[in-house]
Formats: sequence, structure tokens, C-alpha cells
Amino acid sequence: MLIWVCALHCEAGPVIDYYRLKKSHEVRAFDVYHGDDMLCIVTGIGKLASAAACAWVAARCEREAALAWINLGVAGAAEHELGTLFVINKIVDAETGQSYYPAPAVTTSLAASACLTLSLPSDEYREDTLFDMEASGFIYSALRFSSAELTQSLKIISDNRRQQTGKNRQRVSELVQAQIESIDRQAAGLLRLKQQVAALEIPADSWQQLLSLAHFSQTQRNRLRVLWRYLGNREFESQALLRQLAAHNTASAIIATLEQISYRDSEEL
Amino acid sequence: MVSCVYIESAVRDHPRASQLLQRLRKLPLVEIDHYGEVFNPRAQNFRLQKQNPAIIIAHKNKGQVLAAPEGYGLGGEHNYYFSHMLNCLYDCRYCFLQGMYQSAHQVLFVNYEDFGEQIRQTAARHAHKPVWFYSGYDCDSLANEPMTRFTEYFIPLVKSIDNAWMELRTKSTQVRSMLKQEPVNNIVTAFSFSDAVSHARLEHGVPSIEKRINAMSRLIDAGWPVGLRFDPVVYHRNYQSAFVDLLEQIFNRIDAQKLHSVSLGSFRLTRDHFRSISRLYPEEPLFAQNMNLDNGIISYPLDREREMIDFCETQLMNHIPAQTYHPCEWHG
Repeated sequence: MLIWVCALHCEAGPVIDYYRLKKSHEVRAFDVYHGDDMLCIVTGIGKLASAAACAWVAARCEREAALAWINLGVAGAAEHELGTLFVINKIVDAETGQSYYPAPAVTTSLAASACLTLSLPSDEYREDTLFDMEASGFIYSALRFSSAELTQSLKIISDNRRQQTGKNRQRVSELVQAQIESIDRQAAGLLRLKQQVAALEIPADSWQQLLSLAHFSQTQRNRLRVLWRYLGNREFESQALLRQLAAHNTASAIIATLEQISYRDSEEL
Repeated sequence: MVSCVYIESAVRDHPRASQLLQRLRKLPLVEIDHYGEVFNPRAQNFRLQKQNPAIIIAHKNKGQVLAAPEGYGLGGEHNYYFSHMLNCLYDCRYCFLQGMYQSAHQVLFVNYEDFGEQIRQTAARHAHKPVWFYSGYDCDSLANEPMTRFTEYFIPLVKSIDNAWMELRTKSTQVRSMLKQEPVNNIVTAFSFSDAVSHARLEHGVPSIEKRINAMSRLIDAGWPVGLRFDPVVYHRNYQSAFVDLLEQIFNRIDAQKLHSVSLGSFRLTRDHFRSISRLYPEEPLFAQNMNLDNGIISYPLDREREMIDFCETQLMNHIPAQTYHPCEWHG
């Protein structure tokens, strides 16, 4: 699942339209829009709102094999042109001084920048960093559920010393919309990484079927998980294996059978 | 492909850092306070990061020279290791670094002079006795040579200390900088080899066996002491014939009489490293093989290990003088 995290509807709108996400009417805590392997959550302004929304949505996605995150929003900068899109490579929380580093795992031609997250709005422009109000809360929370490679922040300049458009919602949407193709390319790269991670996990249905064959202690479950992940990733057909294992009625016999299959398979390297 | 450069603010003006930045000037640059901020956090995926690692330019504050782990080395009495880098350019599936570090980024330390001072002090503590300094424990000694210029500093340093010996452990072919210098008798370049099957399946990004033999041969011809390391030997159905072929390939080109040392050891990892790496690569046959836990180390069952080592030792002895052989002893 790729999760878009936006503070405002005007930032999320172009993403919702581009991917044709549909509003969920089942939840009330946050506005959430769903699509295929993707959702967008509108968090409200500020790092606390962003952190709370990330934790809330991650808990609702706990059955997903892997979560990838993009925090998309506008930011201020001293000199950069309005509408410029940046991938953030360092996030500093202005209040705590804590730094976070989204890992640069997606190959990109986008410009990179640091971003300082403020607790209150400011028009004090700094030369060497963008500033926003959500990124540190977003990453603090998202890193509890995903690795730094799957946690990205994209910022579009809405304000600089010469022009301020951050409070004009329609203009903000236009700025995001103008970058939607670049944003999509970044998202596609992140989805590919997410799929690499998810593909290594055990499908929930075959795991449940396996567990139903016998009573496994926690230690046996741990061993079983290693063996099942290996064989699943070596393209052994899970239903064929399950049929073979059905003849055994003890946990140790099932594990011994899977070990023998693994040992034979792995001898070729 | 390197994705970006992190640099500790404190080393920004260090001459070695400036050289590195010049070389890496096209990459995004991120200033940090300490390399641990980027290198150590838990929420990192080594496997994903390895696809596009970053370079971290840093200062090593303490512990530049450390006592070598038990059993590491060539049988000398005083063994130490040092790492001017953390992590490796290559991606060998059996390597413990994947389990030791959270991050696949490559840390380059620039304060060579502090390493040099500790090497001098350590050697002085064991005056008149040989002291071995192993490079290439946490990295490949030579793989990043065009960037690190490691040999330019450390070879003259070790040469200047009477009782110091240094091993450069490598899978690379980066010997050009060494060939520009006069050979030094107490500096051994040790080339690691696995058989062709293990090389193809497990040593991603490592130069071919032939190219490494060629690099070895050039060093020997120039008068440098050179060693061979068959560690780890990995089990597979055809390991015997593959090992025989590897020895043929090497000793067709290399005069065994000119080798400084040869060592051999079977695949093994600490339990923690094995668990971490097998979680990262659940589809990897190496970690699905029949293994035993012995004193905190995961390795082949004793009878298989004995069979492998006996076979490989016998084959090796057909080629090398016995006195150059040093088995890797790790059982307690």
C-alpha cells in the first residue's frame, strides 16, 4: 500500500484526481481516499496532526505486507521559484532539533533539499532550507511502520521572499497539479521498492492454511515462517506443498518435511 | 549507483573530504552532525539501500585500531584491525556486514592521521615483536581506492614502522596505486576467492575470477607479497569439482612458491548476523542449507564442514608449500 499524506485538501486534490481515488465514508477521524494499492489521507495542518494521521492509518493497514509513504505538500523557501518540486533529503524539527533522513532509494532527477518543520507559521525565510509544518511529524510516525527507503517527502514551493501563495487554496492545487507527472514518477519508483519488500512476505491465506494443519509452538512457528518464506520465494506452489503436508499430523513432522525440501533445493545454491 | 553524499559538518574543510567532494560534486550533498545519525537508525532496509547506497564522509573519533577477533589472522601473536571505511562496494551474500550494520551506505573516514597515530602507538606497545594490522575487515581494502587513496597514506606509514605488518584484504582489481609504489615486504595483499559457482550466485558486483588473478599476478611480478584467501568456502552440490577448477585456474597463472600465505575456512556467521541476513534475503539458498548452531556461530554440521575442509586442504596441498597454509580456526 502506498499512502499519500497531505495536510490540506487543496494539496491532496490533484493526487486524488490523478489516481481516481474514492472517498471512504466508513471513517470519520480523517478524510481518506482509496484506490488500487494506494490511499490518500488528509491530516490537517501541523506536525502533530500529521503524526497522528500516520499512526492511525498505519494501524488500519496492519495486514498490508509493506507500507510506502509520500508526504506531499507545499513549503516556503527564500529564493526558489514558486512551483519548484523538491524531494526532501533531511528533515529537521525546529522545536526539538531532531534530524531525520529519508533514504534516497528511488533514482530521481528531482532537486533535493533539506526541510525545517516549524510549529507555527513563519515568514522568516532561510537560505539553505525549505520550511513547512508537517514533515517532521510525518516522518517521526511513518518510520515506526516502514523503513526510511519507503518514506519520502515531496515539497512544492508556494512561498518565497517575493511571492506568497500558500494561503490561496486554488493556487496551491494548481502548483501541485503542474507537477503531477513528476510526482507520479516518484510514486512509481517508490511503489516498485514497496513491491520488492511485499513480495518477500508470506501471503496471509497460505500461512493460515499452514497453521491449521497442526498445533505449532511459538518456536516452531518461527522456524515454519523461515521455511515457508524460503519455499514461497523459490516459487514452490503453496497449494501443492499444503497437500503434501496434509499427510503429516504433527508440527515436528511438518517442519522436518519442509526442511528436507529446503535442504534439497538449496544444494544447487 | 551512488545516490547522494552525506558529510559531517566538522570535516567539510578537511583536505581529504574536499577531494572526495570534488569527485562526487554531481551528487546531492547533505550535511550531518555525526555519521551515526544516518548510519545507525533501525528503520532502514539494507537490501533496498544496497541498490543505491550513499557515501558518508566522516571522522572516526575513537577506536581507530581494535584487537582482532579471536582466530582472525595468520597465527601471529599480536593482531589488530582497522577500518578506514565501513561497508563494501560489493554485495556478497555471505558477508557478515549485511547483518552487522543497519545501513548499506558506505562510510569513508578521512582522518587517516589519527589511524596512523594509533597504529604507531599499538606497534610501539609490542616493540621488537611482529604486530599485524588487518585492513579489510569492515570493508574491502582496495575496492574504493580511486576515491579513498588508502594505499597512498597507509603503505608508507606501515613501511616506516619496523615491527608492523599489514594485510590488505580484497576482491578488487584496484592495484594501480600499489604498482606505482615500491613493494614493501611487510604488506601483504590478500585476494579472496570463491569457486565459480559461488562467485556467480553469491558475489554480486565482484570482478571476475580471471580479472582478479590478473591483478594478483601483476602485484607478484612487481615484487609485492600476495596471499590467497578461500574463506568462506560455501557448500553446493558441485563444490568439489568447482574448487579443483578454481585452483587450476589460479595456479596456471600464479607461482605458488611466491605466495606469502594461503588460508581456508568454511561459511559461518554469528547467530545474530545469520538471522538478520536471512530475514533480508529469505529466498537465498545459502541460508536454507542445513546448518548447526555451535557456540553462538551458525555453520555447516560438523561432519559436512570436516569433509569440505579436508577435501579443500588436500587439493590445496597439491599446489602450495605446507608452511604457507593457515587454516581459519574458529571452533572454541
